[in-house]
This record gives sequence, structure tokens and C-alpha cells, in this order.
Amino acid sequence: MKALLLVLCLLGVNHFASAMNHSGMIMDEKGMIMNANSDKLPNDCKKISENIDITIHAGHKHALKFNGKMFAFDNQEWDVKPCAKINITFINDDQIRHQLMIHGLPGYLYPEGMFHLELNGEGQLQASLIMPSQKKTYLVHCELPQHMEKGMKAQLKVDGGDGDLPSIPGLTAPVRADFYFVDWTQLSLSVLVFSALLGCTISFFIILNRTRIKDLFTKYLIRSTQKGG
Amino acid sequence: MTFKRTILLLIIIFTLTSFAIFIAPRMQEQAEITPPQTVYNDSKDNNNIIIPCPNEHPEWRAAQIIDDVNIDAAPSCEPDNPYDIATSVKGTNNVSMATLMQTNLAQDALTMTDDLDHDGDPDVVHIKLEVIELNGSTPDGDFLINTFDIAPGIQPGLWVYAPKSRGMALKNFNSVVANPMLRAPSPVIRVEQDDKVYITLENTHYLPHTIHLHGVDHPWLNSKGEDNDGMEEHAVFPGKSHTYEIKPRHAGTMLYHCHVQTAQHFMMGLAGMFIVEENRPNNWLQTFNIGAGQVRHPSATVKKTFSQEYDLHYQSVDKKLAKIIQDANDPRLVAEHMSRDYNMTESFENYFLLNGHSFPYTLRDAMIIASENEDIKLHIANLQRSAVAIHIHGHKATITALDGVDHPPAIQITRDVFDISPAQRIDLHLLTQNNGLNSYGPGLWMFHDHTPTGTTTDGLEPGGNMAILAYKELLDEQGMPKMHDEFFDQLFNKNYYAKNMAIWGEGEFAPLLADAGLLAPNYLQIILFGLTIGLIIGVLLLIILAYKRNQKQ
Repeated sequence: MKALLLVLCLLGVNHFASAMNHSGMIMDEKGMIMNANSDKLPNDCKKISENIDITIHAGHKHALKFNGKMFAFDNQEWDVKPCAKINITFINDDQIRHQLMIHGLPGYLYPEGMFHLELNGEGQLQASLIMPSQKKTYLVHCELPQHMEKGMKAQLKVDGGDGDLPSIPGLTAPVRADFYFVDWTQLSLSVLVFSALLGCTISFFIILNRTRIKDLFTKYLIRSTQKGG
Repeated sequence: MTFKRTILLLIIIFTLTSFAIFIAPRMQEQAEITPPQTVYNDSKDNNNIIIPCPNEHPEWRAAQIIDDVNIDAAPSCEPDNPYDIATSVKGTNNVSMATLMQTNLAQDALTMTDDLDHDGDPDVVHIKLEVIELNGSTPDGDFLINTFDIAPGIQPGLWVYAPKSRGMALKNFNSVVANPMLRAPSPVIRVEQDDKVYITLENTHYLPHTIHLHGVDHPWLNSKGEDNDGMEEHAVFPGKSHTYEIKPRHAGTMLYHCHVQTAQHFMMGLAGMFIVEENRPNNWLQTFNIGAGQVRHPSATVKKTFSQEYDLHYQSVDKKLAKIIQDANDPRLVAEHMSRDYNMTESFENYFLLNGHSFPYTLRDAMIIASENEDIKLHIANLQRSAVAIHIHGHKATITALDGVDHPPAIQITRDVFDISPAQRIDLHLLTQNNGLNSYGPGLWMFHDHTPTGTTTDGLEPGGNMAILAYKELLDEQGMPKMHDEFFDQLFNKNYYAKNMAIWGEGEFAPLLADAGLLAPNYLQIILFGLTIGLIIGVLLLIILAYKRNQKQ
């Protein structure tokens, strides 16, 4: 019996050292999960409306489809029903650290309003969360310096969301856009000059034929008033 | 209009024009008898005032034992996080989870295992480093992100190596400030001679980088037959990782730095001190000294001779280079602007940092704090572009090693200016014995690079790498120098470093030395000028009308 207790204690200690649940945080050498929630309903939900599985890949290769970005998720937008339970499988395709953070959640269920998955390197994590019923758009991003800025930004909409977030690769325009040089060729320059000349010709034409134009205009006016009358 | 009348009108126009030019009011005028009044600094503007010492963690200052690791007292305003130190000594794998939770380190940031030589300390060390951008740009608005102020209101774009971290990179969820572990300079790394050290670069940045171990004994290839020298042609691209392997046979103060587009990446801050300590029994080293400065858990060798140890990292920033990463967000534009548009041979150094800060922020965490009759070890590395000439007021210290190689005692030199070329290191023995040679007694002794630019921040004094060798009794309970209140009121102000405040804009001499005000306008001159211009236009219109009428006739 004593031996059994000892073994149980040791197992307990081992478990303590390898992964620890610390105020909503589960952490091991692979990464961490913060504020996962698979059973607590938000105050405004009576039951879970739908159960959705979402797989999210993260890595530099997913940025290839966007010009001028470096890191990205494989998808930039998700739409779920109010009170949906989302089971996220987060896969890191890079050899470095990436995060999946969702912000703006109710603080009584998710401390600091945050749901957070973090992978120390290549690998995958699974965790669930339950969304409130409110029609809202949530920010999904990796918060490593310059990762969101360089493309790792997405949005999670509940009930169609309450708008779009800026600077989501391929979806929405940035607030502060970069400047780029315009590709001026001989063709585009000649189009410009031709248009300017055409504009001049039209104005000369109008001035030279002003009396005839005036006559035509008066005739048209008379005819239309007659029709109206 | 007759020919005569035309000539007359033209003469009138020329005369009036000459007169108008002669009396034209200008942007700057000479004062006559009474120069303008003095304008004083706006004392009501409190938005830019900064508290000299935020005093966020007074409990971190005391000497303490965490997870059986002895941590020396650090009386300065911003002491290092003792939990970071305990973790840096024991490794993330040997420290308790409760301690690790008090840090921002990832669980695999530093693993220490296998006592290969059976002398009581671990000999296989795995170090993981990430590359972090500070004061970077964002497409989400006109602000910087992961900010790190080197001085009040000064936020140059910087790149640093950082121990692999976890969790939020920002200080908190409503802030754009970087968390305290993400800071300049790149951390000092300490390993033991003969240890098997694996340094993994996990490139979290959006441009390629490497780690080159300057002066550290390392084979040219690692055990996989891959690059181990961190050269440009073996760059580690974004999202990739690479492990460098060493077993250094020689101890000393060395360096590590990025060798991709070296001139620019080095100047952006990807360089740090790498110190190999002698192999001694039971020698648990503080692997990371985040932010450099005081080593709160010195090695066995250091403890034998010295009462304290400090790492001093000198660094400079070219503000034009630093701004490249803030002006564009697209990595292609950053790459083009930094490597091809920017020309370092036509550039300057504008900011001078000691341990990541410029004065007055050096007073928070880059002071040397001493008592009388102490033997203090200083490791000094020059990681800036130009040479430095380090001078400690009131003291003469002795050189014990150059570039990580010990000097035999017979040729050790004692002097008061230490010239250090770029990338060179010196180890100093600072003795605070009041004997008229090594020390002139207790004080708040300034120490700085004596090259004139070194004590400026973008050319503005006092700034740069200036810091203080402070005797304990002259510090207040927050570790800040006493007797400096008025000076602090002036300098801990963003307006001062934005160059919006007169240097001597307060106190007795303010009326004499504060800013000169504006000159009152000369209304007579303005009226005459206006009339003349009006006349010219009138005459011109007359000529045009007359010319047209002539044509009709």
C-alpha cells in the first residue's frame, strides 16, 4: 500500500513538472494553452448552437499568396453562429514560435478577454472555446513582434460579425498603406498626352461653334417643354 | 497707345518693382534697439514629463535565494528580474514551474543537462534565441509597435536577439510597449569552458539572419556537416531554425553577431557579448544577462577575486537606418531600402547606448554601484561603429584582458582612458580604494565615452552613453542619485530630447539663456510694400486693356 502511494505521489510530481495548469494556463515543452473553454456557457447562451472543427495552419509559406507579407495563417476569416463551440486545431508549419490569439472575448470566461494557443515550434495543439451570442468580429492573430504586422492576422465573425478589421491580408485595406512607384511606360505616357490634346480640341470646338450649339440647345429645350406641356 | 506712353509705363513698373524688393518684409529681420523678449519653457505641459524611476519592482532589489540560486542585491532603479536570473542559472528544465511562470521564457529556451566531467554543474547546454524587432512599423495605423524607449521619447527601430520567450510580447494587452525581456541590447550569454553548447537561432523575424561567434572557439562546420560560422551564404530564413555547436576550449570575453548584410544588421543591434567562463567545480553560470549590466550571480572564478561583476555593452544607432523599418511594412521594401537605397558610407551615428539605454535612462539600469574598497570586474565591449574612449571620472582602473585573452600581471596597464576599437573587448579591474590613484573617494562619478559625440543623443547633450559610478550612500531608496532633482525635472522630459526646450530655460539664468522670442512686425514697412504691389498690378492691367483696345481699333 505504501509503495503504491509512493508511486502515485511520484507520478503526481512528474505530471506537475511536465505540464502545469496555472490560472487557466496549461504549459509544457511543446507550447501552451490559455483560457480554453469546452464546457462553460457564456451568460447570454442557453445552449451550444453548433459544434465546429476548425484547423488553422500558421507559417511563412502561407504568406506566399499575399504580396508584401511574411507570415500568415492559411485562412483569414471564419464565420460561426452565435453560441457556437469551436474546436480549434492549431498547426505550426514553421520551426519557430507562433501564436493564435483571439481577443475581445468576455472577461468572466476568458481572463483579459483572451484565448491563446502557442506552439514553441513545429507541431499542433487542440483546444476549444465557446463564443457568446453577440454579433461581433473578433481579432485573431499571432502577437510575436511584427508577425501580425507582416500578415499573421485574421478575423472570426459571430453571426456575420459587426464589420471588418483593417489590414487583413487579401481581405481588407491597411489603415496606413505603403507607397510604391507607378510603372510609367511609353504607352501610358502617350495615352496621357493624347487625352490632354483631345480635351483641348473639345474646348476649342465648343468655343468656335458656340452659336450653333446654342441654337441646338434652345431647340431641344423648346421641344422638351412642349412634350411636358 | 503711343510708343512714348508705353516706355513711361514700363519705367514706372521697373521702379515700383525695385522699390517693392527693397522694402519687402522678410522671415527674419534685424532687431533695432530692443531685441525681442525671452520666452520661457512651458512649465504647464505635463504630458511629456516622465517619472525618473518608475519603481515597478522594488522587491526585486534585495539579495535573495530562488530555487536554491543565490542572487546578489541590485540597488538600482530597474533591477533585473530575479526569476529570470534563477532560470538563467539552472535552466528552464531544472527550475520550478512556479519560478518559470514569473518569467517570459519559453519552456525550451535554455535546457541544461549532463554533468559530463562530474564536477557538480551541467555541461550540455541548449540555448534558443529569437530575433525581435523593437519600435517596428504596423499597417494598422501611424504608431510604432513593441516600443522600447532608449531615452525620453526616443524610439529608433532596433533588432535584437532575445532568449526564446512565451506569451505576450507586449507589456500588457492595452499597450504597444514591448515586455521587459524584449529590449536592447542583445543579451549577454555566459557558458562554461569545455561545455557542449548548442545555440539554436529560431528566426522569428521577416528577414534572414545568422549567428557568428566572434572570438569564441568553434569548429567551422557543426556535427551535421553544416555551417557553424554564421556566414552570409548560410543565412537562416524567416520561419527557419539552425543550430550552431561549440565546445569552447578557451575562456574570455567574446561576441556574437549576425553576419547577413553585416554592416546594417550589426548596426540594427544584432550583436551581443558572449562570455566563456573558466571550467570550475560547481560552477552554475547565469547564462543570460538580459539587458547586460550587473551580473547578479557571478561565476566561481569571478567570485574568488571580485565582489561584483558588470557587463557594459556600448552600441550606436544611425537614425536613418533605424527609420527604414518604420517607414515601410512590406519586407521587400525594407530589404530594398536597407540594402540598396541606404548607403552607410554616407551616414552618421546619432544615438549612443550603454546597455540599451541613453542618458538619463542609463541611470535606471546601467550604473555601477559600489562601496569603498571593492574589487569590481568590468567586461566592456565596443559594439558601436566608431571607436570609444571610455573614461571613469575619479578613478584609474587596470586592464586584465584584451579581446578575451588574459594579460600577464607584469604588463597590466592602469589608466583612465580606455580606447576600444569596434568589436574589441577589454576586462577591467576597478578598485574603489581611496588611495589617490585608483579612486579619489566616494562620489557620483560619471563614466562615458570621451569621444565628444558619445555623450549626445542626436547631437544633444547630455545624452548618449553617459552613466554614473555611484557610491551606495549617495543613492536614494529607489537607487537614483541624490542631489539631482532639478536636473531630473529637466531631463526626464520628452520635450527636452525633441529639442523643444531651452537648455538653460529654468532658474536664475533663464532670462539670459532661455529662448529669444519673436520680433514685433514693422507695420509701416508692411503697408508701403502692400501699396507698391497693388500699384504694379494696376499698371499692368491698364497696359493689357489699352493694348486690347488698340487692337480692336
